[in-house]
This record gives sequence, C-alpha cells and structure tokens, in this order.
Amino acid sequence: MDNSTQFTSLMENSTLARAERMRMLPMRRRTNRSRGEHLAGKGGTSTEFNDYRDYVAGDDMRYVDWNIFSRLNRPYVKQYRHEEEMHVVILVDASASMQFGDKFTRARQLAACFAVMGLMNIEKVSVFACQHATQTPLILAPCTGRISMKRIFKFLEDIPPGGDFPIEKAVESVLVQHRGRGIAVLLSDFLTFGALERPMNMLFSAGLEVFAIQLLSGIELNPDLTGDLRFVDAETGHTLDVSSVGDLLGFYHEHLNGLQEHLSTLCRQRSGRFICLDSSQPLEEILFDVLKRKGWVQ
Amino acid sequence: MTLPGFSALINAWWFLLLIPLVIFYFLKLRRPRVEIPSLALWRQVITDQRVNSPFQKFRRNLLLLLQILLLCALVIGAMQPYLYSNARHVQNLPVMIDTSASMAALDEPGGRSRLAEAKEKIGRLIDDLLPDQQICLISVNSTARRLTDFTNNKRLLRETLAGLQPTHVPSRLVDGFRLTQALSRGNSIETAILMSDGNVPQDIEFELPFKLNFQKLKPGGTNVGIVDFNARRSRNGWEVFARIEGAPGTKMQAEYELLQNGQKIKTELISIEGPRVAAEKAVEVENEKKVDHPAGERLMFKISTDTAAMLELRLKPDGFDALDVDNYAYLSLPRPRQLEVYCPEEMKSFRNALAIVPGLNLYPGPDATPSAVDLKFAEGPVSTGPEARVNLNVGFVPDDLSALVELESGLAEIVDWQRTAPLLQHVQLLDVQIGDQPKLAAGISERDFEAAGYEILAESRTGPLILERPGDGRLDLCMLFHPDRSSLVFRVGFPILVQNVTQIALSRARLLDAKAIPTGEIPARKLEPEKEYQISGPSGYTETGTSDKNGYLMGMNAPYVGQYEINSPDTERIGASLVSTQETSLVSVDKLNFPENVSVSAGDAEVKGDQPLWGWFAAIGLGLLVVEWWFFQKKPAGVPG
Repeated sequence: MDNSTQFTSLMENSTLARAERMRMLPMRRRTNRSRGEHLAGKGGTSTEFNDYRDYVAGDDMRYVDWNIFSRLNRPYVKQYRHEEEMHVVILVDASASMQFGDKFTRARQLAACFAVMGLMNIEKVSVFACQHATQTPLILAPCTGRISMKRIFKFLEDIPPGGDFPIEKAVESVLVQHRGRGIAVLLSDFLTFGALERPMNMLFSAGLEVFAIQLLSGIELNPDLTGDLRFVDAETGHTLDVSSVGDLLGFYHEHLNGLQEHLSTLCRQRSGRFICLDSSQPLEEILFDVLKRKGWVQ
Repeated sequence: MTLPGFSALINAWWFLLLIPLVIFYFLKLRRPRVEIPSLALWRQVITDQRVNSPFQKFRRNLLLLLQILLLCALVIGAMQPYLYSNARHVQNLPVMIDTSASMAALDEPGGRSRLAEAKEKIGRLIDDLLPDQQICLISVNSTARRLTDFTNNKRLLRETLAGLQPTHVPSRLVDGFRLTQALSRGNSIETAILMSDGNVPQDIEFELPFKLNFQKLKPGGTNVGIVDFNARRSRNGWEVFARIEGAPGTKMQAEYELLQNGQKIKTELISIEGPRVAAEKAVEVENEKKVDHPAGERLMFKISTDTAAMLELRLKPDGFDALDVDNYAYLSLPRPRQLEVYCPEEMKSFRNALAIVPGLNLYPGPDATPSAVDLKFAEGPVSTGPEARVNLNVGFVPDDLSALVELESGLAEIVDWQRTAPLLQHVQLLDVQIGDQPKLAAGISERDFEAAGYEILAESRTGPLILERPGDGRLDLCMLFHPDRSSLVFRVGFPILVQNVTQIALSRARLLDAKAIPTGEIPARKLEPEKEYQISGPSGYTETGTSDKNGYLMGMNAPYVGQYEINSPDTERIGASLVSTQETSLVSVDKLNFPENVSVSAGDAEVKGDQPLWGWFAAIGLGLLVVEWWFFQKKPAGVPG
C-alpha cells in the first residue's frame, strides 16, 4: 500500500470510498435527544409528516390541521417525525491476545470502517482502545462529520498493541466515560476468564445496541497441535500443561462453539448482534459480503 | 498350557528401564512451550468432566502405555523366549537326511524333488534353532556321512544343506543310525530326526538307543526304471536280461535303446505297468475280476562278441517319470575265454573230476603254466604254482589257523554243513568217512575262526572241516581233510563239489555271468600294486585311491549312475547303475521295525523344534513403534478440515 496516495494505511481508498456510502443498520432505534439523522420512535418537530391523531385538550393548537378541520369540522393534530442523533461507540481490544495473526489489524480496519459509516451518517463516533488493565482505555472523544475522519484514522493507526485488559473490564471502563445511546461495536476475541453477562447488561442499560464481532486467528479456530505441550498465555504469561493435545482438540472445538453460542445468546437477548470472523478473511469480503448479508450494514 | 521358556533370562534386567521410562514420561522434560492468545478455552477443556474421565485419562497416557509395551516387547525379545515343542527341549539334535536315489524323485512334472522338500523342512528347523541347541546334519544313503558337527551356526548349516545333493544309491539306514550312535558318545542325544521319503528297508537290524522322529515326505509320482540288467554265458555268446518295472499305479509306454560300445543295436517300444495300487485291487475284488497284471517287463537280448563289450540300456518313457537316474543301466561283458585252472598232477582225483568240466584249460598241461590262473588247487602248505583268485587248499591247516586247529589221524564225520554255500550246493556229505580228524585247540570256538576271517562251511564233532576266507579280491577255500583220505572221492558229490569250485571260479573271473554293477562301490580291481589311481565318473566325480600290495584297488565309490574310468591304460570303463527295485518302485514304508518289537511310525506333521519367539516380539515392538508414531502424528478426529 503506497502511503503517499492512500488516505489511510488501514485500508484501500476504494474500500474507504465504498464504506463511506454504507451505513449501519441497528435493530432498534437508540438515539440521543439531540437532533440527528435517525428518526425517533416518538413524534417530533421535523419537517417529515408522520400521522394524524384526534385533538385532545392541552395539545398545542399550532399543530391542528385547519384544512382537515374545515372539511370534517373536527380538529385533528398533525404529527411529525422526530430525527435524533445516534452515538456509535467503537471498542477495540488491543490486548496481547489480539496480536496473533491478523486479529488486531482486522479489528482496526473494521473499527475504521464502522467509524467512517458513522461519520458519513452524521453520527457521533467515539473510539476506545483497551490495552492494560491498570490503565484507562485510550479514548478518541466523540466526534462527528467527515472532517473527523482523519483524526479517527490517526487514532486507530497509532494504537500500540499489547496489554492484558480483559474485555469485560474494558467495557466497564468505557461505560464509565461514555454517555449517549446508540451502537456499541465490540471488536475483540472475547477470550476472557471473566463473565460476559455483566458488560452486556451494562451496555444494554446504557442504551447501546451491541455489535459484537469476535475475531479469531487460525491457531484459535483450527489449532494444529499434537503431543504434550505447555501453553503460555500471551497476556498473563501463565502456563498450562496439556497432554495429548491432539486428543483434546475435539473438546476444544466444542468449547469454542459453546463460547460463540453463549456470546450470540447474550447479544440476541439484549437486541444485539454477534458474529465470529476469521481474521485471515479479507476486509472487503467481511465488509461487503458477510456483514451485508447478515444485515449489519447496507 | 505350556509356558514359554527363555534362552537369555539374564536380559530380564533390562526391565529396570521401565523405571526411568515412567519417570521421564511424567517429568515431561521436553514438553515444548507454545504461546497462545489465551488459556481460557484450554482451561475449560482441561476441567471438562469428560476429559477427566478414566477412559480419557487412559487415552491421554496411551503414549506411555505404548512405550511401556514397546520396551516390554523388546526386553522379552532380548530374553529370547521360545515355546516348547511336543518333544522335550533337546540340545543336540542329529538330523539324518535320506539322500538315496529315490529322494531325487519329483512329485509332479516340473515339481520339486523329495530332497528339496526335505531341505525346506530342515531349513525351517534351522531357522527355529535356539542358541543353546545344536544340529548335526548326517547324509544317509547306502552309507552315512556326517556333514557338520553339532553346531548352532545357522549359516554353516544352511550352506551345508544347500550343497546337499541326492546320490544314486539305494537306501541303507543302519549306517546312519550307527553313526548317530557313535556321535552320542561325545554328545548327549535324546532324539534324532530321520527325514526320508520312506523308500527305505522296513526292517532295520539296529537297537535304537535314542528316540527316533521319522519324518516322512510325500512319495514321488509315477516312475519307470531298469531294476535288473545282467548277462549269462551261452554257447554262442551272451544272453542279456533286463527287467523294467514301474512304480505302483504307473502305466505308460517307453522306448528302450540298447547300445553296445556306444553303437545302438536295438530299440523297441514297450508298455510298462506297475503294480496295482490298493484302490485298484479293491475295485477288482468288488467286480470279481482276477486279471493277473504283469509287474514290469522282462527283456532278453542275445549278444555275440569275441571281445569285451560295454552294454548300455536307455529307457525313454513317454510320460512323466519321477526318477531319471534309473532309466540308464550299464553292463560290462568280459572277453570270452577258457577258465584257467591249476591243479598239481599229484591231485589225481581232482584232475579226473576237472577233466569232465567243459571250457577250462588245466595246468600243468601241454601248454606253459601262466603266472596267474582263475582257480588253483593245492594240497600242501608250501605255496607253489601260479597266483589265483580262487584257491582250494586240501589236506592241511593253513598257517593262520595253525593256532586254532590241528589235524590228527583219526576218523571224523561231518555233522553239519552249509547246504546253501556255493561250494557245497547239491553235495551230500552225510555219512562221509574222513581219515583226518581236526581238533580244536583248547579254548577255541567258532568265534575265533570268524575273527581270523574264516567262515566254517562244514564241521565235525571235533572241529571244522571245510572253511572259506573271502577277502582281498580272492577267495580261499580250505578243506582241512584230504578227499583222497575219505570216502568223498567215491561219492557222486565229489565231482559236484569240483564243479561247484569251477563255477565259483568262473563267477569270480566274471566268465559265467555278468551283472550290472550297482552304484555305491566299484568292485575291487587288480592293478599294479601300491600305486595311486584316480577314478573319474559322471557329474565331475573324481576320487583317488591306492592299490594294496597285491594290486587290488578297493573301496572306490561310485555314487552316481554312469561310466567311471580309472587312469590306467589296461582297465576298461566301468558302468554303475542304480538297478534297485526298491528305489524304482518309490514305495514308501510307514513304519520302521527294529529288533525286540520296537517300531517307529512315520509322522507327516512337520518337525517342530522349540519355537523361538523373539522374532514375534521384535515384530510386535516394531508394530508398537509404528502405532506410537502414528498416534503421535495423527490428525485428531473432530478437527474441521
């Protein structure tokens, strides 16, 4: 990739151009009170007509449709849609476990794409990068508009890898600082010893619809290991001796599938979405094929 | 159930290697480190209840189990286990291999010889030889020969076995047994193996001092061969007889050729039918047929020749013939001549008796006495006259018997004589009065005469009267009394006795008849004394021997059918033939009879020595190694492709 001609080192210009024309499709409307591009469920004061209803005492007389009243001799109140702003929170897991394969790169690329979609649809976009459990996450303050695109790319490009921040703690740290409803895009491998119910509940309570994307590398999806091995945790440095690894791979796959099923259930129960991606999959295929077909973006 | 034994039990110490094997396995000193993103999933896997089930634990330690099994297999293999055979564990095992002519018989067209089959069986026995066991290979045909010492050198045994070839001589097992008995003096022998096709004499005059395992091979197929080839003098030359027989169940046509000095003189196609087998006989009895099948074909030829001739009879069967060597027979016909007899003029009674015998030249006579004659009569201990092959000494005690018997004046009467002896055939000696009385020396018995080489043909109450001593190519007949001092000369038996002597001389001079010389040993030849001769025969056979002081070359072998030649200008070629009814018939016996009602039955089952098992354990070890490698390297089940 020639950096001199590329807008960002995270993706090709053509991919960026296509991402700019896309938008996220949340399942439910979770918007802020501030005006934005997203229609609110309740009535509002925008110029887009929504419906009529009977006039009741106390209604603002200004919203009575006098033309109807003249024809029907009954007062009807004219209702308009309310367009609100949606906040897109992108959480990038930058811990050491994400350094395997292309997981971290793919996470930053997807974060950039979702941020571009948010910016191009006049959303507030904030990005959090979690590294060390003892440190606060790196934060890109909420920004909006195309003008912020360069800032976001710069932020994502400069995230240093490494650390031991578990995803459940990272979510809590993010929610301490975040305000606003919208979408929370979680880009992580979700390989954690902690429980994931609590962060999911917190996200749901905060009015954020979860877009959970699990990125796994080849050694996690299809570990080609045999014999007696001593596994070393990349984040904590803890070791685990496992004998006859080859015999246990069947169980490993069962537990991996179980984790994915568990994550999917957690998200679905909270009106969220979950998908597991192979980090070796090309970005374009993920973005323009997988996510589109799943209805995450359009 | 028989537990296996171990030849090298000391190697069990290697089982101690199990301790470091287990220790090192659990120490896992060389467990490779693999960095992974998170232990989260693997910790779940390890704590999975199914993973910690006993079966899974067993599977997880399967490598250890395989390694223990591998080590055990190798150590047990090093301990050299063996399974006891039915026989006791023998350390010295003599193996007598029948190498007679019938062992060259094939079982089918293009098939294997009996000896090849025996070699294969013995080869397996050698392969199974344990380190503390030794085998001695003995070749048995008409004689016995030790091929190897007791050894466990498998290479030597295999090489010796590979070089073993069938001879063209009939079977005679007793020599093999005697040789084995002789070997038992230096080595403890409990069991001996006899590997034969069963074409052997059934009754064996030998008392078995060891257990005999008679392994009988399948007999050969159909066979025809020449079983007799001889000639008899006739007025005009020779009448030659040949007998061709077949093995039981054989029925085929064959063409024979008769060659005289290499020139074909007759050829004819004949039909040969062997004796009926038991099944055919049973069918005939059932059908009440009584057809007398001639067993073989008898041929007769008339040969007129003034010189010595070598006859060769060749048989060419038109079907499968299991044994080839019995299709050739050789017969040497000597030059026809008068019998040369020397009888001193003082022995008038003998000369009178000889005068009526036709076809002999009597000396002294008108012609000069030759230096050697065929028959010589003598009546005194002082040797006068020419040398002779057959000597009849009358009226005195030979020098070598002077210590055993002495002659006294007195009346003697013959009490017993060998009526079947050639000298006394058709001679009635009953009531013959004899004026010389032999008297045995004190403490002398018949055995002393046998020890001196004499056989008593007739004896009186006080001692022997007529004796014979064969040997050294000559025959000495001794009448210790003089017929002139007995009533024998007045009896009809006297000229018959003289006639018998001339017949013996004729036979010894090979003027009466001629027989095919059987393979085995060449008859003694009179050559220059104390000179080394080399005899060469078929199949590149050569042997060197030295004639004795009398010029007799004896003890020369003729193991193969064919013509032999002695490197002497005066000797004619000698033909050796199988001419054995037993070998040609290929009939096999199922039981060998020994004295005192001891018999050994043949066993068709393969000889099984103690079965060594180390090879199996080595193979199991190799298999375990392969399984362990495969198990270690295999792609686990359940992993997506």
